[in-house]
Amino acid sequence: MTWLRGVLADIADDSPHVDLADEAIRIYERRRRTGAALIAAATVAVIVLGATATVRLLPGGSEKDQVSTPGRVENLPAKGVGPLSHAYRTFCNPITGKAPGDCRVGAWRVVTTAGQTYHLDQALPAINYHDGVSGIGDSQVAISADGGKIAYYAPKAGTFQVRDLASGQLTTAPVKVPRAWLGSIMSLLLSADGRFLAFTKKPALDDPAMLIDMREGMVRPLPNGWNPVGLTADGDTMTMVDYSPKSRLQTMTRLWKTATAGNSRTVNLPKNYRFSPLAPGGTMIAAMENRVTQSDSCVPAPLVQMDAKTGRILRKVEVRGLPMNTHNISLRTWLSPTEVTALAEPNQFCRTGKPSVPDGPNPRPDPPYETVTSYALNVQTGQARKLPATYRVQELFGLVLPGAPGAL
Amino acid sequence: MNRNDSFREFVATHQQSLIRTAYLLTGDAHLAEDLLQSVLAKLVGRWPKVARLEHPEAYARKALLNQHISWRRRRTASELPSAAPPEHAYWTEDRAVVRIVMRQALMRLAPRQRAVIILRFYEDRTERETADLLGCSLGTVKSQAHHALARLRELAPELAPKFEELDQLAIEEARR
Repeated sequence: MTWLRGVLADIADDSPHVDLADEAIRIYERRRRTGAALIAAATVAVIVLGATATVRLLPGGSEKDQVSTPGRVENLPAKGVGPLSHAYRTFCNPITGKAPGDCRVGAWRVVTTAGQTYHLDQALPAINYHDGVSGIGDSQVAISADGGKIAYYAPKAGTFQVRDLASGQLTTAPVKVPRAWLGSIMSLLLSADGRFLAFTKKPALDDPAMLIDMREGMVRPLPNGWNPVGLTADGDTMTMVDYSPKSRLQTMTRLWKTATAGNSRTVNLPKNYRFSPLAPGGTMIAAMENRVTQSDSCVPAPLVQMDAKTGRILRKVEVRGLPMNTHNISLRTWLSPTEVTALAEPNQFCRTGKPSVPDGPNPRPDPPYETVTSYALNVQTGQARKLPATYRVQELFGLVLPGAPGAL
Repeated sequence: MNRNDSFREFVATHQQSLIRTAYLLTGDAHLAEDLLQSVLAKLVGRWPKVARLEHPEAYARKALLNQHISWRRRRTASELPSAAPPEHAYWTEDRAVVRIVMRQALMRLAPRQRAVIILRFYEDRTERETADLLGCSLGTVKSQAHHALARLRELAPELAPKFEELDQLAIEEARR
């Protein structure tokens, strides 16, 4: 039975460190006092009324004494939370169907690998609109590759914070970031160890994007309008992509070894692409050609592997097994050196183009909640296989998986 | 040493072991803490009697198991949008993959079956000890363990080779 015991012991290693004696004594004492007070009150009532009464004596208890109420979404506990499977954002006025229970507008909630969902109340809710209307006020989160840390913009702190979910350790960025800098589409990348956090946004505006060393309390400026998709473990080399209006790659090196922002190399690509995060190994990036037209937003397209520094196409394959005719596809976390996660979001306007947004009274309806399916896409063969994980979300921008994000 | 000091000493000694079991039972750190906290809060009131028992720790463990099983109606997953986490990143070691798969499978067992698996295979309790702790018969423990292992095998087909090793060991154990 050794392997099973080993696995169970491994799981048990994730249990929190606790110190419960004094809290248990406090709860007991409070219950005892409350119980005694109720008995006294009941006795008085019986004497005064001269009647026989049935009295229910219920011990009191704070919220902490109680078990989680089924169906209710709890706020993220200060510590002792297991690794995350994903985070997603909720808008509560879907044009069809229902919003999830306990919905909070623009708010993020996180889901652990064990299936427990929590409100991430610490994070700024997004106020940018859906339905084709963009506006300033995005809020994103980023999850470390192991799911154990999450980064978000904390309105109380006026800047970004990184939270270790198990220990509850909270690290605050050394510089304030005004909300107005967050843009209408922001992008965050959190390094595997949670030490480095990259923040960029669109539109570029004049406000700085930045790479933050949360441990040492240092900041380096980054170019705006780019999406960070890869960062070396030492935080010194960053890969970024731009998908609009044209596709570009940029590699920044020596980010912390020079007084300014280091060296950079930018490559313009001849076609338009949707990018994966930087592949394991740090030299390759996968991308799907973006052949969307005004009349057709779901056009099957080949998958390429390109050199992340030079943009040179290393391999080009046809994709099989992905519903590209009916879904938007987004490339996300790498599952192995050859397989990347592909998320497929249903797009009912594939053949008709996106409908124009009618002018009407606020609040505008939000997108419906739809099931996003995940696939493992082999970049060598182009073959996709369906994964068990599905997500009920409104849009791909509002769904964050562990690890570096892709772009589009 | 007053009664609270004695209780504090007991908790300091055993809480980490108990929270590990609670975590395996609930699969959630917050719930595990709630579970153990509620058990300890009840234990304080009975401490003068419990402290005189030969194995107060076994009493606490039994209370933990009973409390967990009594939570079964209240403890429903509020949301399970994902059947599984996105498959594991390339740097994840095999051991971590097994751990995640097993944790998910474990959480899908009925509370009593999960308790049997944890007592038998994590705490290395005998069938008799397991039956005593759960307050059920030896036969119930045997059948629950059998059904729980079969269910785990269904829920975690990725671990089939590991379960085969387990079968072999069980056969050898039975022969001895």
